[in-house]
Amino acid sequence: MQYSHKLLKKIWHRLAVAILLPLLWGGLGWGFVSCVDEEYPTADTPQDNFEALWRLMDEHYCFFDYKKKTFGVDWDEVHQRYRQMINPNMTKPQLFEVLCNMVGELQDGHVNISASFDLGRNWSYHEDYPENYNDSIVSAYLGTDYMIASGLKYKILEDNIAYVRCESFSDGIGDGNLSDMLSRLALCNGLIIDVRSNGGGNLTTAHKLASAFTNEKRLIGYVCHKTGKGRNDFSSLEAEHIEPFEGMRWQKHAVVLTNRSCYSATNDFVKCMRTFPNVTIMGDRTGGGSGMPFTLEIPSGWSVRYSAVVYLDSDKQHTEFGIAPDINVSMSGADTDRNRDTLIEAARQLLNGN
Amino acid sequence: MNKYTHIVQRLAMALTLLSAFVCSYAQTDSIAVDNKTSMRSTMIGIGSADVLDTYLSPYKYTGMEVRLMRETMRMTRLMGGKVSNQTLIDINGSFLENRKKTADEYAAGIRYSIGWHYNLPIVSGKGKSAPTPFHPSNGEGVPGDLGVGFGPMISGYLGGIWNTRNSNNPGQAKLDLCIDLSAMAYYNLRIGKMNCLLRYQLNIPFVGMAFSPNYGQSYYEIFSLGHYDHNAVFAHIGNMPSMRHLLTADIPIGRNILRIGYNGQFNQSLFNELHYHSYSHNFMIGFVKRVIRK
Repeated sequence: MQYSHKLLKKIWHRLAVAILLPLLWGGLGWGFVSCVDEEYPTADTPQDNFEALWRLMDEHYCFFDYKKKTFGVDWDEVHQRYRQMINPNMTKPQLFEVLCNMVGELQDGHVNISASFDLGRNWSYHEDYPENYNDSIVSAYLGTDYMIASGLKYKILEDNIAYVRCESFSDGIGDGNLSDMLSRLALCNGLIIDVRSNGGGNLTTAHKLASAFTNEKRLIGYVCHKTGKGRNDFSSLEAEHIEPFEGMRWQKHAVVLTNRSCYSATNDFVKCMRTFPNVTIMGDRTGGGSGMPFTLEIPSGWSVRYSAVVYLDSDKQHTEFGIAPDINVSMSGADTDRNRDTLIEAARQLLNGN
Repeated sequence: MNKYTHIVQRLAMALTLLSAFVCSYAQTDSIAVDNKTSMRSTMIGIGSADVLDTYLSPYKYTGMEVRLMRETMRMTRLMGGKVSNQTLIDINGSFLENRKKTADEYAAGIRYSIGWHYNLPIVSGKGKSAPTPFHPSNGEGVPGDLGVGFGPMISGYLGGIWNTRNSNNPGQAKLDLCIDLSAMAYYNLRIGKMNCLLRYQLNIPFVGMAFSPNYGQSYYEIFSLGHYDHNAVFAHIGNMPSMRHLLTADIPIGRNILRIGYNGQFNQSLFNELHYHSYSHNFMIGFVKRVIRK
């Protein structure tokens, strides 16, 4: 009996190890099996790069429906047309050119392909139009005694009109800087904010500057984003408001000068400013760029930037192709010859009540 | 992954956990309750990581990972002294790049887990007490001891991934709080005159909550505009199929105990159509210290 008991115990020991160890290793093995993995083509070949780019845009770009209605771009037709241009023997520069042309069909300045040797882009939103801005002439207005606050260059012109040049929204604007600048300009008859050729930057910076021109919370637009891979998978529209700046705010008439190179965050700045009753938009139509861009990539390692989040104005209308000014003014050759900026002079006349 | 593999994996998991219930034979006295002694270990590790987050890129980034792990374990008086309490603090940092080496990502995070394991002796050596996940009495195990423990763990993770190249989607936050199913097996292996405690532990997140932006939602919308859209996600084993493995060997060296091991993390999620995985393998090394509370 004792011998049987020992034998049974020995058998049980070996049986337990024989059952447990394989189960444990099975558990380890399962750990190596992936079920959430890459879904896009991965080979660095012209074909895979083409398909990955087309699919990336198809599943993430936010303006297909709007652009099809606006100028008839059909992303499926684009696929068929450009696929024929892809061959296995094409060089990297050739592939880059074809891919850039493909996404260029969307006519979106926020769509770029970035390689080590070039930045693919469609800048027709301003390249196809007059500049309406001359840096040398503006420098003459500023002179050398202008003041600078958080990157904003400002000066009081001879007729007591304040002139503020905002070249970019890439950097922040400090609360104290903005407040102190407006305090210094408080006795002026009017204020010109020149955002011509300002290509954008941070939305928060643009909204902060705009907030200094309203005394109450205002609806400035609506936002929605993609919720899935389908071209029409969008969230509901969420209202976007702007709160008044807590420091010094501008109370008199202001003019915002615009041109076709006002893009992205600058376009959104103009979108905000035109909702304020004391602000006049003057110049040329802005360039647009109302989609917030995200970045992904394709197998070649090239990054792809694309419009991902939709921003609409307060009337739920798109501003992707720009915002029309209240008063259309263009630079005249005669004024340029005389070193005069037609837009600044028109703004001064308006603010002075002429 | 095909349907057959999916079924086999689920079955393997079920059997692994079921084995702890089935193997209940023990010919020992009851476990000597010694809840004044706790085991603390600190390990550092180095290895590799493979991270995919389709909010940042459709492609995985791979590279090196470093890890720091702090573990505490002690027996409790629960259920006749058969329940052990374990806490794990696991800190990781990864330095990653894409296949074409044109972009970098950095990932880091901290996981805190606390769990309770019901211990069952499977096979007892020649000692009077049943095997436990560590040896509280004299620091030396009894060769041939084999036991399993199983139970729940509450696990919380806070971390993130940062892509150095992206524009308005440069980063992804990782936050979750889950109840894990945990099982471990331990065996006292005699090598010459040395008794080494081998331990394998498997944690599987079962149910919980996690944070995720929606498919194409920007963090600006969430945190600057306050627009929330399915950002608190109900996480479960179906949309967060993950496993965390820990294999350690405690080797007495003089009056110290060296611990070496393998930490394998296979974290995955599919929230709001965003794919995420983080697979890492780390070699771990550290020391074990026994602390006796008076």
